[in-house]
Amino acid sequence: MASSETAAPNGQRAESASGGAGELTVGQRFDRASDNAHEAWSRTRDTVNDIKERLDIDRRVARNPYGMMAAALGVGYVLGGGLFSPLTARLVGFGMRMGLRLAAIPFLENELRGLTESVINGGGESDSTEEAAGERKSHRARNNKGR
Amino acid sequence: MEMSEQFEKTARDIEERIRPQIDEAKKKVLDMNDSVVGYIKENPGKCLLGAIAAGYIIGRIARR
Repeated sequence: MASSETAAPNGQRAESASGGAGELTVGQRFDRASDNAHEAWSRTRDTVNDIKERLDIDRRVARNPYGMMAAALGVGYVLGGGLFSPLTARLVGFGMRMGLRLAAIPFLENELRGLTESVINGGGESDSTEEAAGERKSHRARNNKGR
Repeated sequence: MEMSEQFEKTARDIEERIRPQIDEAKKKVLDMNDSVVGYIKENPGKCLLGAIAAGYIIGRIARR
């Protein structure tokens, strides 16, 4: 691999390689690097466009813009290492508490409705009130035995 | 009865006074929502990358 460097007419150093690319001035190298950069950029753009088409991001964003933004925010949060942090624990805890409360409200509502219905329909006639009366009697009997 | 009527009247007056402001605020919020959604639809890549970057920064701050 014998190579020699010669001075170019414009004062730039030129490199000649035997049996290869010939002489390359700094300008030519710059051009080549620029071409390579352009090629790499166009390839990257093609790849990004390909990924966009495959994932159908544009349509997904058009369909649900806020959801996609939230998903991207979540991806960034996880990438930033926030998954196992006190803030996440606090947020999850708050979400769980809210969920439990929201689940408990309909249950309590049903119970209250049943109670008010039984009171309105007249106490003592329904099965549940009879059972309650029976329980009260047995409780009293147990108390009397204890004395 | 007079007290309740007076309360009712006062409540109605307040409602009449506040309602235009509420309507205006509602319209403003809806307009802002439309413009935000429009911007996101026009620039999905930019918005997604921005959201990822924002999430990343928040995650970095939360990790400390």
